[in-house]
Amino acid sequence: MDFDFNQEQYMFQDTVRDLLASALTMEHLRSGTPAELWGQLAETGVFALLTREEDGGLGLGYTDLALIFEEFGRALVPAPIAAAIVAGGAIARFGTPEQRAQLLPGHGEGALRLSSAFAETVATVPAAMTLTARPTDAGWTVTGSKILVPDAAAADKLLVALRFGDDLGLALVEPSRAGVTLREQDTLDLTARYHEVIFDHVTLTAGDIVGGRPDPAAVVACFDAAAAVAALQMTGMAARTLDEAVTYVGQRKQFDRVIGSFQAIKHRCADMAVAVDACRSAAYYAAWALDEAAPDERARAVSMAKSWCGDNARFTCNQAIQLHGGIGFTWELGLHLFLRRIKCEEASFGDADWHRERVIGATLRSMELAG
Amino acid sequence: MDFTYSPKDLAFRDELRGWLAANLPQGWGETVFLPEDEDENAMFRLDWERKLYKGGWNGIAWPKDYGGRGATLVEQAIFAEEMARAKAPEGLNIIGRNLVATTLLHHGSDAQKARFLPKIISGEEVWCQGFSEPNAGSDLAAVRCQAVRDGDHFVVNGQKIWTSFAQYSQWCILLARTDPSAPKHKGISFLLVDMKTPGITIRPLRQISGECEFNETFFDDVRVPVENLVGELNGGWRIAMTTLAYERGPEDALGRQLVFRQELDQLLATAAKLQRGNRSAIEDGLLRQKLAKSLVGIEIMRLNCLRAFSKSLKGAPRGAEASMNKLYWSHVMQDMFDTAMEVLGPLAPLTAGDAHAVDGGRFQLGFLRSKAFTIYSGSSEIQRNIIAERVLGLPK
Repeated sequence: MDFDFNQEQYMFQDTVRDLLASALTMEHLRSGTPAELWGQLAETGVFALLTREEDGGLGLGYTDLALIFEEFGRALVPAPIAAAIVAGGAIARFGTPEQRAQLLPGHGEGALRLSSAFAETVATVPAAMTLTARPTDAGWTVTGSKILVPDAAAADKLLVALRFGDDLGLALVEPSRAGVTLREQDTLDLTARYHEVIFDHVTLTAGDIVGGRPDPAAVVACFDAAAAVAALQMTGMAARTLDEAVTYVGQRKQFDRVIGSFQAIKHRCADMAVAVDACRSAAYYAAWALDEAAPDERARAVSMAKSWCGDNARFTCNQAIQLHGGIGFTWELGLHLFLRRIKCEEASFGDADWHRERVIGATLRSMELAG
Repeated sequence: MDFTYSPKDLAFRDELRGWLAANLPQGWGETVFLPEDEDENAMFRLDWERKLYKGGWNGIAWPKDYGGRGATLVEQAIFAEEMARAKAPEGLNIIGRNLVATTLLHHGSDAQKARFLPKIISGEEVWCQGFSEPNAGSDLAAVRCQAVRDGDHFVVNGQKIWTSFAQYSQWCILLARTDPSAPKHKGISFLLVDMKTPGITIRPLRQISGECEFNETFFDDVRVPVENLVGELNGGWRIAMTTLAYERGPEDALGRQLVFRQELDQLLATAAKLQRGNRSAIEDGLLRQKLAKSLVGIEIMRLNCLRAFSKSLKGAPRGAEASMNKLYWSHVMQDMFDTAMEVLGPLAPLTAGDAHAVDGGRFQLGFLRSKAFTIYSGSSEIQRNIIAERVLGLPK
């Protein structure tokens, strides 16, 4: 029984935290991601971590990345980076040997960029997705769109979740392929570009499909990974906004006293600390479940984490802004960057209500109760 | 990370499971339950505690020298989980086993350990806790109950409150003021009081649930031999603080979590059965959301405990995370009982005696009892102060 990380995992966290502390300041977040960040992160091994050893990777799992994604949230690492790691993880696990050989070495070095396309205007979860590949003589043809694809314009390959007839599958498509157009979207999140990817009679062949054929289980596994990663990053964002608030109320004086000595302030901070601690429990367990649990338990663990961390990262960030008073509402302070990003993560890969329904549905089925 | 138990620990679990199956009454938790009458209930739990002792399963964490098993933390967690899983009653002598024993093991004299520990673990002597007073609750150091030295005795006068199980207890741990002129934390002593001593009056206090688990206890010229002083004269505050720090650990909370999950499972089964309009309550989308929130909340309680527990296994000292856990679960469980009452809908007002009462009125009782969760063992406000000051480092 050991629900804790090992020494190597904590050391990896320290390395990434130190790197991000200098490579990604508040100034960077306002003015755009520094170009060197991908390369600097690649040197730590984060992009090669999920790749199998026989494919030149580290052969590790999401448990080894859990604290890294928390650090990403803490430093507000822009969304395209986590999206690339999740897409690479899906290729590592479900891709054909050719796909793995073609994409993963470059991905591991930070030279080849992946992004992932899941959300639609009507869907953030697999069962509701409508984008469909229709069979043709040569393979399939796709018309429709995906939204909020993290920096599709900078990506070499997009991992796209879509339907092949009745089956969901994952396809690999370059943004430059004939029939694909990108439209940059205005979004709440100011730390990254997002694109709508529009497909107009785009041709797919079997070689474009991850694993060579549609695999609904792969889509759900990839969705679960992305939702857990969102939960881990929101945990980091919550932890950071708590730290910012505690630092501020420990210095700010009103009525000749540090305001952090008032119980009205302390009690808010204590509730935030409890919320963040529970975020960690839920998100770490979800990361472990991605690696080790059967699909039902994985889904339950991920949905608990995504719903809890979404609600509680929002709670913590809201409290942090309140505790900063008027300064908290300024553009300059930058807490709004967390507020904005948390809202985007909350809405992605199933919102809290959807995940709670998934938890109770699965629980009732396991208890053989109706409903 | 690893969520499995070792083969040795699993063998311990199986041994305990076997013993529980053989020693709990036939049909326990299904058709046979704890007696409803409070006195019978208490005596049943005392008998059960003695049975546990005879089977070698009471006070398992105690050192072998004092009749325990010297159980490891993992074994203690497994014990708490298995007791919960079997819906086994909790022994009556909770205060004796957890608070008094821990205090005596840390601070008691050899004579005190030899005199008291064997009778605690055997269930021969039940203990109560005389800490709180009407004007010393969260501000415990404000105790006014006085002990004045008279020859080889202290003479105790004053009042204690919330003394659970006093009516069944042979002994009491008492915080009394022995130096009224010293600063309030430095004039308190820790005494062991025989409840048969003349001058002690117990008056039951009825709780909002209608039950009378706790009491007011009055001390009127009660003579306590000086050898029943624990530690140094006027050194009682420090002793009381270590007592409270060890009140409940994460291994214990794992058992409590399972009990809560059983309550929620019962609620889910009830919601699936209850008609609401032309469908069952469990098909109501809003209720499903609230029930799911409780499910997530209670499962995260387990994960919180396992994280704290894993840190203890690696030797981390117990700190303020106990306050984090307590603040967390007490509110999650109050919310669950609020939801339970919503699930019952039109039947929510009906209690045990009514023909239409749901599940024997258990959710109404749970709802009323749950109001104590955020008050006892340190109110939520005190827990928040502890977290803010000791975890977050905010100024006093």
